[in-house]
Amino acid sequence: MELIATYGLNFLYAAATLGLIVLGLAVVFGLLGVMNMAHGEFVALGAYSALIVQQQGLPFIAAIPLALLLCAIVGWLVEWSIIRHLYKRPFDTLLATWGLAILMRKGIEVAFGREYKSIDQTISGTVNLLGVDYPAYRLLLMALILVLFILLFAWYQRSNTGSRIKAMVQNPELAAAVGIDTARLSRSTFIFGVSTAGLAGVLLSPLVRVEPYMGLDYLLSSFFILVVGGLGTLEGLLIGSAVIGGTDTIISAMFDKTAGYMSVLVVSILFLWLRPDGIHARR
Amino acid sequence: MKRRDFIKTSIATAAVAAAAPGVLLKRAHAADPLKVGILIPLSGPAGLFGPSSQNCAQLAVDEVNAGGGILGRMIEPVYVDVGVPPAEASQAALKLWKGGGAEAFIGMHDSAVRGALTNLFKGQVPYVYTPVYEGGECSPGTYVLGETPAQQLAPVIPWIASEKGASKWYLIGNDYNWPRDTNAAAKGYIAESGGEVVGEEYLPFTADNFDSNLAKIKDSGANAVMITLVGGASVGFNRAFASFGLADSVTRLGTLIEENTLAGIGAENSKNLHSSAGYFGSIDTPAAKAFAEKYFAKFGADAAALNALGQSCYDGVLLLDAIAEKAGSLDAAAMDAAADGTSYEGPRGKATMNARHVSKDIYLAEADGAAFKVVQTFSDVAPGNNCG
Repeated sequence: MELIATYGLNFLYAAATLGLIVLGLAVVFGLLGVMNMAHGEFVALGAYSALIVQQQGLPFIAAIPLALLLCAIVGWLVEWSIIRHLYKRPFDTLLATWGLAILMRKGIEVAFGREYKSIDQTISGTVNLLGVDYPAYRLLLMALILVLFILLFAWYQRSNTGSRIKAMVQNPELAAAVGIDTARLSRSTFIFGVSTAGLAGVLLSPLVRVEPYMGLDYLLSSFFILVVGGLGTLEGLLIGSAVIGGTDTIISAMFDKTAGYMSVLVVSILFLWLRPDGIHARR
Repeated sequence: MKRRDFIKTSIATAAVAAAAPGVLLKRAHAADPLKVGILIPLSGPAGLFGPSSQNCAQLAVDEVNAGGGILGRMIEPVYVDVGVPPAEASQAALKLWKGGGAEAFIGMHDSAVRGALTNLFKGQVPYVYTPVYEGGECSPGTYVLGETPAQQLAPVIPWIASEKGASKWYLIGNDYNWPRDTNAAAKGYIAESGGEVVGEEYLPFTADNFDSNLAKIKDSGANAVMITLVGGASVGFNRAFASFGLADSVTRLGTLIEENTLAGIGAENSKNLHSSAGYFGSIDTPAAKAFAEKYFAKFGADAAALNALGQSCYDGVLLLDAIAEKAGSLDAAAMDAAADGTSYEGPRGKATMNARHVSKDIYLAEADGAAFKVVQTFSDVAPGNNCG
């Protein structure tokens, strides 16, 4: 019983954190069609923001504005210099952002070194929930992610900006014709996407390994989730996170980690083959 | 000049010229630098160990050269990046050996690269292999310095069992030959110490979520975990392990948790974490302290942290020197004949070669925050049976 509760919490944790990580990629790839291979490096930028804050002796929470600022600046520069020339050329964005990813990894290596870094958990210890001792920070993180997604969903459904983005995604020419500044809207959307990756990096940094190549971990699973869930909707993103996180958790629990990883690959391949639009795509 | 004189002089000159190359070559040979290929990972996943490996090798080269070199010849180190696939590493070594004139090799790299190199060298050139490994290398011309599972575990598991009460062990590692061979050896020592293995699991290198493993460890009732995960996987696993509150009740033992990995695990996650190795940066012997002082004096206070893998390159140079001096030659066959019984003293203590491996001191350290504290030294531990 205790084991089942543990697996249940692990599943919720996996789905929630995957959802947070993939959010930025879903925005950038799902709405703008940019295959951002540097997505994981923006996550790393967030984690290193937490490191900077820790080294300066500031409270952990200060890493959030720092990461958002850092990612917004880098995101603005990247959009202005590279991405805006490549909208509607997805394959070219893949190549360009892969180059960017290498540059960012090397940049982090130059600034902070190859070594592993450790970010302290501000809230350590475990809480007994459903008869299971579960890490307190993880529970807080899951609650935070839930709130974030509810707010985001409400905003996207109701706000003017949400409507403009939907209009732009569905028909850019028509959107421009009715007076929507699509260039500016695309830029803001891109910056929003990479900034949420930075936020994910900050929030996850106390739990994971922090080193210049950490971003690679997050890239592949993010694409798997989008393949399964479908592009362009928050619902698809959440379903994809649940399917990928759930498959890994359940199969790893029943068999072993190798089987878990293999089943994630099999599920992704089956979706690409049989249902290339995913479970819950736009339209 | 008369014609006859001219001929005479010419003949004399020609004779001298003909004789000279031999004389000159011979004299030049004695003073010729000795090119040694130092094969270390400067890129790839193990690239983290590049700087400390290169520093340590350079320190040893400078010291041996200051003492007159190997057999009177100054060592000229050539650093080659072997953080690449085995075929490429083998190509680079071949180029340096046949084209660059390297007369000996020292390697700190994975076993896949070692397999490719022993296949290439075929015992024709001396080759010292320095890092921790799974044991069993017996190719001619190859001298193994690294800790074998027998060395890291035979004295350590009984100690952990009696001092820390470890009786139910869970074995977890990455899925390749080093963790599997290490665990195969561990099972014997665990049984001998009266303990039992309650779980065993191997993870792919891509694994970055260890929740299901931790749930199984908790459910198995293990009171000790033997960790053969490497690098980032070890960091991620140990952080998650501690965050679930397992560190208080379960003892951890790793055989490749060095200073960089511990830094990544972090001070708040390192309670009850032990590491067994032939070297730690914090060994408290005069030789080890003197070595650390020289290292940081030469490369600066913020040089790459000292660790068992990087430091093994220093000992690699010392071992090559010791065998060559004993054999009185750098010829591979002569060195092979003289190798058994060769001993040298380094920062790790005294090491003695036998059957291509060395008996040496093994240190068991316990993490104290983000640093290691040696809690027990086991003297002159034998490398086990590696050659048949």
